[in-house]
Amino acid sequence: MLSIKDLHASVEDKQILKGLNLEIKPGEVHAIMGPNGSGKSTTGHVLSGREGYNVDSGSIVFNGKDLLEMDTEERAREGLFLAFQYPVEIPGVSNMEFMKAAVDAVREHRGEEPLDSVSFMKKARERCKAVNLPIDFLKRGVNEGFSGGEKKRNEIMQMMLLEPKLCILDETDSGLDIDALQVVADGVNALRDSGRSFIVVTHYQRLLNYIEPDYVHVLSDGRIIKSGDKSLALELEEKGYGWLVTADEEGVA
Amino acid sequence: MAEFVKQAAQLTALGPLTWLSEFCSEAQQQWLGATLPNRKVENWKYTNIRALEQGDYLNLATKAGDAAVSTESDCQKTVAICDIAGLDSVRMVFVNGELCERLSEGFDRLPAGVQLVNFAKTNSAQQDLIKRHLGSALDTTKHPFTALNASQLVDGVFLHVGKNTVCETPIQIVHLQATTDQAITIQQRLLVVLEPNSQATVVEHFPDSANVKAFTNGVTELLLAENAQLNHYRLNLEGDQTFHLGGVHARLAAGANLNSFYLALGSVLKRNDVVVYHAGSGAHCDINGLYLPRGNEQVDYHTCIEHAVPHCTSDESFRGIIADSAKAIFNGRIHIHRQAQKTLAQMSNKNLLTSNKAEIDTKPELEIYADDVQCAHGATIAQLDDTAMHYLRTRGVSAAEASVILSFGFINELVNDVKHEAIARYLRPFLAKSFVKDETLTRHIL
Amino acid sequence: MSQEQIDQLIQKEYAAGFVTNIESDTLAPGLNEDVIAFISAKKNEPEWMLEWRLKAYKVWKEMVEPEWAHVHYPKIDFNEVSYYSAPKSMADRPQSLDDVDPELLETYKKLGIPLHEQEALAGVAVDAVFDSVSVGTTFRSKLKEVGVIFCSISEAVHEYPELVKKYLGSVVPQKDNFYAALNCAVFSDGSFVYIPKGVRCPMELSTYFRINESKTGQFERTLIIADEGSHVSYLEGCTAPMRDENQLHAAVVELVALDNAKIKYSTVQNWYPGNAQGMGGIYNFVTKRGIAHTNAHISWTQVETGSAVTWKYPSCILKGDNSVGEFYSVALTNNYQQADTGTKMIHLGKNTRSTIISKGISAGKSSNAYRGLVRMNPGAEGARNFTQCDSLLIGDQCAAHTFPYIESKNPSAIIEHEATTSRVSDDQMYLCQQRGINPEKAVSMIVNGFCKEVFKELPMEFAVEAGKLLEVSLEGSVG
Repeated sequence: MLSIKDLHASVEDKQILKGLNLEIKPGEVHAIMGPNGSGKSTTGHVLSGREGYNVDSGSIVFNGKDLLEMDTEERAREGLFLAFQYPVEIPGVSNMEFMKAAVDAVREHRGEEPLDSVSFMKKARERCKAVNLPIDFLKRGVNEGFSGGEKKRNEIMQMMLLEPKLCILDETDSGLDIDALQVVADGVNALRDSGRSFIVVTHYQRLLNYIEPDYVHVLSDGRIIKSGDKSLALELEEKGYGWLVTADEEGVA
Repeated sequence: MAEFVKQAAQLTALGPLTWLSEFCSEAQQQWLGATLPNRKVENWKYTNIRALEQGDYLNLATKAGDAAVSTESDCQKTVAICDIAGLDSVRMVFVNGELCERLSEGFDRLPAGVQLVNFAKTNSAQQDLIKRHLGSALDTTKHPFTALNASQLVDGVFLHVGKNTVCETPIQIVHLQATTDQAITIQQRLLVVLEPNSQATVVEHFPDSANVKAFTNGVTELLLAENAQLNHYRLNLEGDQTFHLGGVHARLAAGANLNSFYLALGSVLKRNDVVVYHAGSGAHCDINGLYLPRGNEQVDYHTCIEHAVPHCTSDESFRGIIADSAKAIFNGRIHIHRQAQKTLAQMSNKNLLTSNKAEIDTKPELEIYADDVQCAHGATIAQLDDTAMHYLRTRGVSAAEASVILSFGFINELVNDVKHEAIARYLRPFLAKSFVKDETLTRHIL
Repeated sequence: MSQEQIDQLIQKEYAAGFVTNIESDTLAPGLNEDVIAFISAKKNEPEWMLEWRLKAYKVWKEMVEPEWAHVHYPKIDFNEVSYYSAPKSMADRPQSLDDVDPELLETYKKLGIPLHEQEALAGVAVDAVFDSVSVGTTFRSKLKEVGVIFCSISEAVHEYPELVKKYLGSVVPQKDNFYAALNCAVFSDGSFVYIPKGVRCPMELSTYFRINESKTGQFERTLIIADEGSHVSYLEGCTAPMRDENQLHAAVVELVALDNAKIKYSTVQNWYPGNAQGMGGIYNFVTKRGIAHTNAHISWTQVETGSAVTWKYPSCILKGDNSVGEFYSVALTNNYQQADTGTKMIHLGKNTRSTIISKGISAGKSSNAYRGLVRMNPGAEGARNFTQCDSLLIGDQCAAHTFPYIESKNPSAIIEHEATTSRVSDDQMYLCQQRGINPEKAVSMIVNGFCKEVFKELPMEFAVEAGKLLEVSLEGSVG
């Protein structure tokens, strides 16, 4: 599904990723954890192709294709979805218009017929309910005046509508209360199947109680310094990141 | 320009409204003494009215009113142009400046207490009312073209809503141009008088009716008595050969509420001077507007919100997208008089330039003589938001379509605030088409 | 706060209002070619300088006084003004500060500007201009060591004619405006600064202007050239005695920042503002402009508390790519003062940046207007401007205006403009008083807070002074 090899990336000439390696197979859930500033969010932005995030060296292959050769929208159409840590507000553009444009673009890319308005509405309403958002949210401006939790649920709703192959959740748990967390997790779990993979970027272990990962990676200073199964997350919860980071530095020395 | 003043004055030897002759001839004297504004006059610094100078526009239409839509197919075509689906309005249609009775309809739906009549058809009681109010809300010395308008009045519309009367049915006044052999001059006039506690909705509609070279010189006066409420729309959709100078002059008594929406697609020049005078405590106005010039077009809005008494509020927002080699001018002035303590006044002007030949000149002004007031204005000229562009693209939307969606969102924010949903529905396609021609890019916004 | 308290606060004396009793050579009022020839002869100027002046005079005669500013004053009779006045003791130019008339030195000492180097503010070199002449410049030799030229413009005409010829009038052309043209014809003295390539000027440079003689106009001319990669910080201060008549001050300042150079120009303007009834005071009609070449940086900071009428728009022409212009202003008007001040930022080069922060404070019956132009020319690819204009009104008899002109012809340029108005609220005053702060102090605290963004741009020594100056200027304004 995704193969990242020796990835070096920088923002405004500052090196953030310094040799990232990651292999993800279909159906797997990978959690990426790590202290602030370790490069977690940068990973998501580099994968989605955000301007200003420059890849200096290394490769990313997504479903057999060179991801770095693709524009942001091509990546999305190929099935890469990023749930934003800070979803963007777009006043004047309704959620409905926004989602229809996205769904049409993705379907067209897959060679599918565009959904007619009625079927689309039906689908959108279902997904809206699934993430516990009132139906009238579809008419409102994209994320305009939404609370933090509503924005995050809106991201999950979009994910459910677009049915991507690889979902990257960038700190989707930040700022959520337990109930909202449950809704988000239910949404993600409902989408889990053998063909779809997830990268769950998070600072805390909490989310992983709800979305059970197959692998846990610890990112520090732009590289993965330790990988393990879900027990690693619990260990981190207990001990924090300090012991790992220090050990890594010693290892380097 | 002096030549133009003289020629224009000769166009009609005073109109047929003999009962208004005093008003008209006074205006004619004023017009003859006027100097036409040039770019050294602060209020016309950025506005180019050279196209008027040649005098090509100074002709009266040979076909006007009913005469211009003599055939059935003319009629049908014209009705289609006027129609705003779902508005269910009472409609008065003027063609080349003259009332077209065949196309005007729905008068029987006006409730008791509402009088809607063209000047030429008024009775003497109505004439007395008109004489009392006409010109009372405007300063001809500051707006010289209003004197030209008054000096050549052939007809006009008078709307009077009596005390405590609520007129639910929107009143739509359509100004069309029918093809004539030469360019024409049209003087448009509307006088709205709302008595205390009355309510009405007025739509001034200038559709794109024909590829006609026309100079419309319009004056609209809105007089709102105590606690009156008016929803007012002025939609300048005329074609690119037209030259429009319009003035909307409103006067609000205590507790009155004016909600106005303006839209101008570009043409040779469309200039509207909007003056709202808060004359009574507790009055409020919302003034929103959009301008979308392209090609070589020019659009100009000059607004002036006068706060003359305490405890009034005003909220104003204008946005524009300027394409190709077009030029837009926005001058928004808030004037707080010495007595107008406790005023709250806000103004915002936002612009998008989409070509490196486009130009915007904006001037948000504050003139404040009272200390216990809250006033703020902001103006921006910028591009589409990068993060929003990125967000759309991560959802698979192409950069070209994303830019259309965002541009449309930029103006749609104001369209969403339009009170009458039928009008918002009517406008959206105009807006979308006005800045992008490729329909595959607009399919998601309509 | 009660009216009484307010009045007490507002009625403070203008501390710089004394007159120096010194014998002066003052030219009879009137303006014609002979007067210009006289001024030129007095300064022993070369022929080219006289020709330049006469050319300007011809231009000026054809021009009309501008009336667009939001200020009102009786028409000035330019034949009632004396165009030259100098202390007699300056007739034979003193060779050093030790030769300067002690009365003059005492004047500057009283104003807080000691000219003896041993007493002078460390790190600040001062050029003192008294009516029409420069009376002395401190620390010249020290500056010379690094190649910095700091002298009066009269001297520069003799000593560095090539530099003067090349740059005088290059930023503000003779026909730029009515007052600038007048200045070109009759300018008397002012400062000249040249910072050589790559030199960071080791100390603050400062000019102190003093109008003393009655019925005289002051027409100083300042020219600052920062050669490639150099840095300089310059400060000017101004005062005048209290007189019942209005006196004219029409200066021109030109700044040239060549590639990668940086000029920081700060002004504390405290000309006599007239009395509480609006009588007397200086008419301050000033043209200040800088041109910034590639990567150059020009920063104007002004604290304007004086003058009866101010008409002043320190501007930047951002000609070179990546050049930066800044304008930080506090303008305070009280009693019957009127100010129409602001800036122009003309963006010509790519990626040029400008910032405008304007704080206007109106008190008494005064009128205070911000007028500013931001223009993005077609070539100003990627240019940016941010403007913040805030007005503070103190009392219900004053006026505050904002007239921004924003013009853009480049789709990649970004302009943001914001303006607000506020007042010293009863709640704020109540809170301060409840905490034991007296009303005068409270107002000055609030005003200082309002101006903080601008004060932090001033050189340290002057920031403190500016704060104090505001306090004095506001006396009696609390209402």
